[in-house]
Amino acid sequence: MSFLLKCPNCGDRSVYEFRFGGKLKPRPAADATEGEWLRYSYEHENAAGPQREWWYHRLGCRQWFFAVRDTCANSVEATFFPEEGA
Amino acid sequence: MTDSARIFFNDEPIPARPDDTVASALFRHGRRIFGRSFKYHRPRGLLCAAGRCPNCLVNVDGVPNVRACTTPVRDGMKVAHQNAWPSLDFDLMASTQLLGWAMPVGFYYKTFTRRWMWKLAEPLIRRVAGLGVIQGTPADAPPSYEHLHQRADVAVVGGGPAGLAAAAAAAGAGAQVVLIDDQTKLGGHLRFLRRIDEEISDLIDSKEAIKGGRGNEVAGRLEAAVREFPNVKVLNQATAFGLYEGRLLGILQDRRLIHLRAGKLIVATGTYEVPLVFENNDLPGVMLSSAVQRLINVHELKLGDAAAVVSHEEDGGAVAEDLRASGVRIAAVVPPSDVRRVKGRRRVRSLLTRRAEIACDLVVVRGPRVPDAALLSQAGAKLVWDDEAGAFLPASLPDFAAAAGRVTGDTSLRGALIRGRCAGLEAAGAPRGPADDEPFREPLRSPAPLHHPLSREGKAFVCYCEDQTVRDLEDAMVEGFEEIETLKRYTTATMGPCQGKMCQLPSIGICARRKDVAPGAVGTTTSRPPVAPVPLGALAGPHLHHPVKRTPMHELHERFGCVWTDMGEWKRPLYYTKDKNAPMRACVEAEYRAVRERAGMIDLSTLGKLDVAGTDAPKLLDKVYTNRFSDLKVGRARYAVICDEAGVILDDGTISRAAPDRYFITTTTGNIEFVQQWLEWWAAGTGMCVHVTNVTGGFAAVNVAGPKARDLLRKVTKVDLGPKAFPYMGCTEGEVAGVPCFLMRLGFVGETGWEVHFPAEYGEYLWDTFLEAGREFDVWPFGVEAQRLLRLEKRHVIVGVDTDATSTPIGADLAWVAKMDKDDFIGKAGIARARGRPARERLVGFVLQDESIPEDGSAIARDGKPVGRITSVRFSPAHGKAVGLAWVPADMADPGREIDIHLSGRFARAKIVADPFYDPKGERQKR
Ligand code: FES
Ligand SMILES: [Zn+2]
Repeated sequence: MSFLLKCPNCGDRSVYEFRFGGKLKPRPAADATEGEWLRYSYEHENAAGPQREWWYHRLGCRQWFFAVRDTCANSVEATFFPEEGA
Repeated sequence: MTDSARIFFNDEPIPARPDDTVASALFRHGRRIFGRSFKYHRPRGLLCAAGRCPNCLVNVDGVPNVRACTTPVRDGMKVAHQNAWPSLDFDLMASTQLLGWAMPVGFYYKTFTRRWMWKLAEPLIRRVAGLGVIQGTPADAPPSYEHLHQRADVAVVGGGPAGLAAAAAAAGAGAQVVLIDDQTKLGGHLRFLRRIDEEISDLIDSKEAIKGGRGNEVAGRLEAAVREFPNVKVLNQATAFGLYEGRLLGILQDRRLIHLRAGKLIVATGTYEVPLVFENNDLPGVMLSSAVQRLINVHELKLGDAAAVVSHEEDGGAVAEDLRASGVRIAAVVPPSDVRRVKGRRRVRSLLTRRAEIACDLVVVRGPRVPDAALLSQAGAKLVWDDEAGAFLPASLPDFAAAAGRVTGDTSLRGALIRGRCAGLEAAGAPRGPADDEPFREPLRSPAPLHHPLSREGKAFVCYCEDQTVRDLEDAMVEGFEEIETLKRYTTATMGPCQGKMCQLPSIGICARRKDVAPGAVGTTTSRPPVAPVPLGALAGPHLHHPVKRTPMHELHERFGCVWTDMGEWKRPLYYTKDKNAPMRACVEAEYRAVRERAGMIDLSTLGKLDVAGTDAPKLLDKVYTNRFSDLKVGRARYAVICDEAGVILDDGTISRAAPDRYFITTTTGNIEFVQQWLEWWAAGTGMCVHVTNVTGGFAAVNVAGPKARDLLRKVTKVDLGPKAFPYMGCTEGEVAGVPCFLMRLGFVGETGWEVHFPAEYGEYLWDTFLEAGREFDVWPFGVEAQRLLRLEKRHVIVGVDTDATSTPIGADLAWVAKMDKDDFIGKAGIARARGRPARERLVGFVLQDESIPEDGSAIARDGKPVGRITSVRFSPAHGKAVGLAWVPADMADPGREIDIHLSGRFARAKIVADPFYDPKGERQKR
């Protein structure tokens, strides 16, 4: 774990400056079934390949953003703020 | 050259030249034995003279395991031997080799099959086997290492001709270059060539012509040419010990660890020579040819009187010439296959060959050359066996890495310079020059490390670090450890301080011979960082002190005789004592009485404080907190709980509404970072108009509480504190003693009281003001411990003390904080789930039935077995008995029921009660 992560605000920084927020998962609707909520809270997929993740620039601008990271190569393809969609 | 420095070896003064290394100075002074081996305590002398073997480890100025041959001397340096007793020359522990038969390969695995055996043997083994010892106490430890973070366009590892050419070319093309070399001077093997005849100035951007001459001088001119570039930073005597993710090079230089990020990596690490395997190949006086050349041509040493050169070249090659030129007689040149054994006790006396016994005091070995490709392999390159080269050569390099020079298998100087320059230009993004595609000029041809079957009696060393012989490896293979990776783990060959440099190739050779395959089929062991040993202190870095946070009133507490406690990074008063010997319980009880009977004040500056502003602030808080804040009236405060999606309580605090679009939040002391990030997270990407600002450090806070709190505050503020105008759970901005404050009327300790928040710079002023104004009421400061007792009597939970990572508001008796009629909030589904199912455990209050006072964490027992636990328990002055909170199975949680508390060897009875232990109706805090 010594790769660089590009904060959309501050640029390339050591990954130690960040907090990892996990894979982006759509939150179930308020009236979703118990099963859906349990899956959301407790089941973590850990799939191989690119996934969209939350990261927080703890020792920098203190912003939450998305990174698209390949879990096999541990390479980050893109980072952007949630407003920037993509 | 004259002596101008003096070092001390085991306290004996030794003269040294300024250019000397510790090893060259000691050698010149007559020292031949530099260390004792790990297991058998055999004498060992200089072998590689290049920092790649384990033979010359010494203690320098208190630091163990320093290599004498790569450490330059410094006047006054204190050098000491290690792993020998009583002395290097006469080591009693060498008798362990007589017991060699008792320590077969795999000794540890076979012998210590029971724990007690290891316990018996360990102290002895620790004394006998090993490397250096750490001396003294931590206080005499050498200064700590520092960490540096650096960047470069191009990192060049290796300062030989290829590396120098690469650095010059990349720098000439404008790149920022860092050149890393592990020797004292740049130039690599050129330094110890007697003559260089090639004209090479066309191959390196140099102002002066570099035509040829003594290797040392040519290297010096090359080094100077590279150092001319302002954009080349040279790190010499530095080891690039590993390549990590994100192209991060770990570099150790003196007492620094450098984290270097480079866009491109050029590896020009060359080759290193490794020993041939024959009996007694470890005796002092057996030296690698490269070591011999270095010691002669750089340090001008006379290494002996008569040398036997073990070499494929009939005339012994350049090393024989150098020996002769330095005044050493060549007794014989012997082809490797003729060698039988070296004879001698503490040093070489003769070399026994197939034909004769040759008297000599030096055996010079032209050994196999191993391309130093560990970094390339870490970069992702493959190492492919090349039969002709007799070596594993790097192939399929990744885009960001290039190799040049001998590490690629080309031994020519011209080739090194051309390839180096090409790599440098390419790394800098510049076009390559003409004629840069010449193929290898002189392909590497490395001899095999093993030549004939060895007798089973003698010791032919494969691994010098771990004292592993050919026989040990062969025995291990007979036992089934035939794969190189398992062989390595079983014998520990290649796992010592040389990290396999000296022994990997011979190990592979032995493996290949036994299996009758090519070395390529055996393969190499995986190269992992670090490629050279790194002191743990270097990785640990500087001894940074722990950051400490102090409240603005810190000094005043100190003067008041406070006993401190740590809460995260904060220092908080635990209790105050005028007399250091006063028992804690008495002090705490005095503070408690002040609050219950008169007035007390506590510094709450460590509370997390957030200012949440914006038109969507109500929406965000309704979503993140379990209760409702959109309907909170301006001027009112409310208890607030955060849960995660599973309904587990994460934090609690209060939220006050200062304006329709502005809230003031307090969090627990340790959780402020978390709560801030949590709020920002749920706001991220939603487009909500809300700003979360951490104002913890900006505000100090004091809670003034007790029956006289109102009288006290009235003396210093015009804010109407009457029960109607300022009811319980009210809040307002107002001036106190001229300071703009935010006042909240809360009841954590269960008495009439106000939390006063104000700009931190007025901390001491307001604290003193309150003390002064309270003098007539005998106001008293109270600490965290009294507060814990006061709140416990009120049954107020502390998140993280009375709750854990499974507690929901339902179990924790806080169901009322979850507003299930809200459309949605974080944790709603989890709380609904907890509600819909019978609880396993509940948090209950209890009162002891006798005089005993259990400790926090004590077990609740049923039929003698633990089924629950106490989270908080204190002696309650109001009750005259201990009271507390405990998690118990739901079927034991009914009020009135008696429970048994485990108390060192016996059980104490307690009764579960439903109400707070003190002022159950909560009338006092509302007065
Ligand atoms: S002789 Fe110093 S490390 Fe080999
Ligand atoms: Zn940032």
